[in-house]
Amino acid sequence: MKIFGLIAVLVVGALLLSATSDFPDWRDKDSPANESPVSSFYIEKTEKLTKVPNMVTAVLADYRSYDTMFETVVIFIAGIGIIAVLRNFDGPNSSSIKRENNDEGGGLLARFTCSLILPFIQIFALYVVAHGHHSPGGGFQGGVMLGASYILAALAFGLSKAKDIFSERRTMIFAAVGIFIYVGWGVLCLLFGKEFLNYEALDPILPGDAKMARSHSMLIVEIGVAFTVTAIMFSMYSNLSTRGRLSKGL
Amino acid sequence: MTEHFPVLILLVPLFGALIVVLLGRERPDQCWVTSLISLGVSSLISFFTVIAVLSGKVQTLRYRMGGWPESDGYEVGIELRVDILAALVVFAVTFVGFVNTIYSKTRAGAEVRGKVPFFYALIQLLIVGLCGIVMTNDAFNLYVLIEITSLTSYALIAMGNRRAALSSFNYVIMGTIGASFYLIGVGYLYIKTGTLNIDDIRMVLEQKNLWEHQSIIVAFIFIMLGVWTKMAFFPLHGWLPNAYAYAPSMTGTFMAPLMTKVMVYVMIRVMVWIFGNEFVYSSQPMWGEIVIWMSVLAIVAGSLLALARTDIKKILTYLIVAEVGYMVGGSWLADGVGQAGAFYHILSDAAMTFCLFIAASIIVLRVGDSRVNAFDGLFRKMPLTMIGFTVGALSMIGLPPTCGFFSKWYLISAGIEAGHWGYVCALIFSSLVNAVIFFRIFERAYFGKISGVKEDHFPSDSDANPDIRIKEVPWSMLVPLFIASGSVLLLGIMNRSLFEWIQAALKMMNT
Repeated sequence: MKIFGLIAVLVVGALLLSATSDFPDWRDKDSPANESPVSSFYIEKTEKLTKVPNMVTAVLADYRSYDTMFETVVIFIAGIGIIAVLRNFDGPNSSSIKRENNDEGGGLLARFTCSLILPFIQIFALYVVAHGHHSPGGGFQGGVMLGASYILAALAFGLSKAKDIFSERRTMIFAAVGIFIYVGWGVLCLLFGKEFLNYEALDPILPGDAKMARSHSMLIVEIGVAFTVTAIMFSMYSNLSTRGRLSKGL
Repeated sequence: MTEHFPVLILLVPLFGALIVVLLGRERPDQCWVTSLISLGVSSLISFFTVIAVLSGKVQTLRYRMGGWPESDGYEVGIELRVDILAALVVFAVTFVGFVNTIYSKTRAGAEVRGKVPFFYALIQLLIVGLCGIVMTNDAFNLYVLIEITSLTSYALIAMGNRRAALSSFNYVIMGTIGASFYLIGVGYLYIKTGTLNIDDIRMVLEQKNLWEHQSIIVAFIFIMLGVWTKMAFFPLHGWLPNAYAYAPSMTGTFMAPLMTKVMVYVMIRVMVWIFGNEFVYSSQPMWGEIVIWMSVLAIVAGSLLALARTDIKKILTYLIVAEVGYMVGGSWLADGVGQAGAFYHILSDAAMTFCLFIAASIIVLRVGDSRVNAFDGLFRKMPLTMIGFTVGALSMIGLPPTCGFFSKWYLISAGIEAGHWGYVCALIFSSLVNAVIFFRIFERAYFGKISGVKEDHFPSDSDANPDIRIKEVPWSMLVPLFIASGSVLLLGIMNRSLFEWIQAALKMMNT
């Protein structure tokens, strides 16, 4: 069997390499991806049309917002998929592995350090979310940081402590609400009579003009993404680290 | 209103899934109602979409997400594109989803227990993904939606019995390889064309005459390999039988008819819309020959493997492998009738696989045994279920007036026209093998002794609802079965007009 695997890998690799011969050169300004009207549209018109200096976010959250909505749904699916497969509702009694004393988290030093840095991590995460459309960042990155801060709390203070703040029910609500914000914002555009996710339709209810409405809407969908990512990060950690029992953590 | 139909078809089940997750834990009984309503509404909208597209006012619905206009003839944003082909497949997906939800009424509680809300959320998201795949006109968006369907189906399969987790893991490996091959292909196309919109890729390929370029050829090969892996085309079929047989029954009944078929649709779409008939059939005449012989192999091997099994669900899953061979071969015959026949077979195969899987799940549930000898005397014990099973089986064999006969007829006549006798022989051989398989079952069901059957017992189902212990199963399972067998007959009767619509839509693209 191994020999077939090797042959398959070699054939696939040779095919892929053979195609690189007629690729455009690195940094070629005339390569199709650079000279196509789509790219120049993004580069020239983004700031004019959306009032957002960060082109990447504009592509992500406006031009291809529909893709990003589904990427958020992918994360949501990963979270509920892990619960669907792993989660064990029978409680800790059926557990074959007993880890009674492991739930206290780290030692005194770890707890003290964490309580010192956690607020800063969270504030920075919120900054990354809120500033996503102006500088590098956005909902995914900020959400991951925020989720990591809760995971750190779970590591330092024990999972049960972290669950007091972020119970399973609450993670599910957060995750669903995040997508609700994103999709609901798109539906709102629909209700205002324009296409789905056409943020210009929301001009009447947002400050500024129609271009500014796009910028504000990007912030709002990024917040939705951050909600989902934060909740799913924590939910994944707590399910994976306890084999779906959510009782005794690492 | 009509112009918003494509996005509404997606949004209704998406909201349904969110509501189920939010409210499901408190009231598991509401999950069924919520998803029934959301999928019912969605299939109603897609039915109206079919009518709108057919009525001739709008032949192709285009929907620009975010309202971004085109610039210099290129799409800036993401576009949905619904013609008659997409509308028919979307209607099939949402309608099968709706009917399957009726079927799951009693089964969901019994088979996934405390995870009912997650099951309904995942299945609705899977339907969103499948509809999105069919409607999108953006090559990368298609990948994102393939990701959604893959992730949901991994989780849905792994919720099954003990062996489901391992078969789901196999599927994860194969599915990831398939999806990343598709993505590599799309990446190569983007490097050479600078756009992701399917119509625009075609336009650039034609304007710059890139057909001879090695990277375009490699992109085509990789996209094809990717979708073949996802649709379980013969040498790449290893993940399918176990995954579909061990999944929870209401997952199997939904995924078996639709997952592979939607990937066949993607294949036809990539072949016809992105690359075009001239590139696929004429530029490398050897390709078609190789692929058709591969599909011959798939048909023969799938049929023989099915013949060798005694487990009814395994038999059906191997028949899917053979049916995928029909469709790949048909669409590669370099002939308009072949493509249209393969497309018609997508619909008819969805109907008959759905019918057979529901019937088989009911029988396995009632008799408690999935081997073929479970069928002993079933015509007397469960006459209604067996009628449904018979309709599906006759369609699989290919007897008129079922849709299986007509799709096979179109495929065979396409094979004769193209002069590809190997493919014609494989189709006839597979029909004969199907006849052997199913008449063996009929014989048992008519003449077998009832005494060998264990009464009222289903092993993994100790807390089963008492009302499935009656002789026939409850209406929530029989109604879907009859809807499915009715649609097998209806598709057969309507074959003429359906076939003409399909041909017209394909011709419109090829000119």
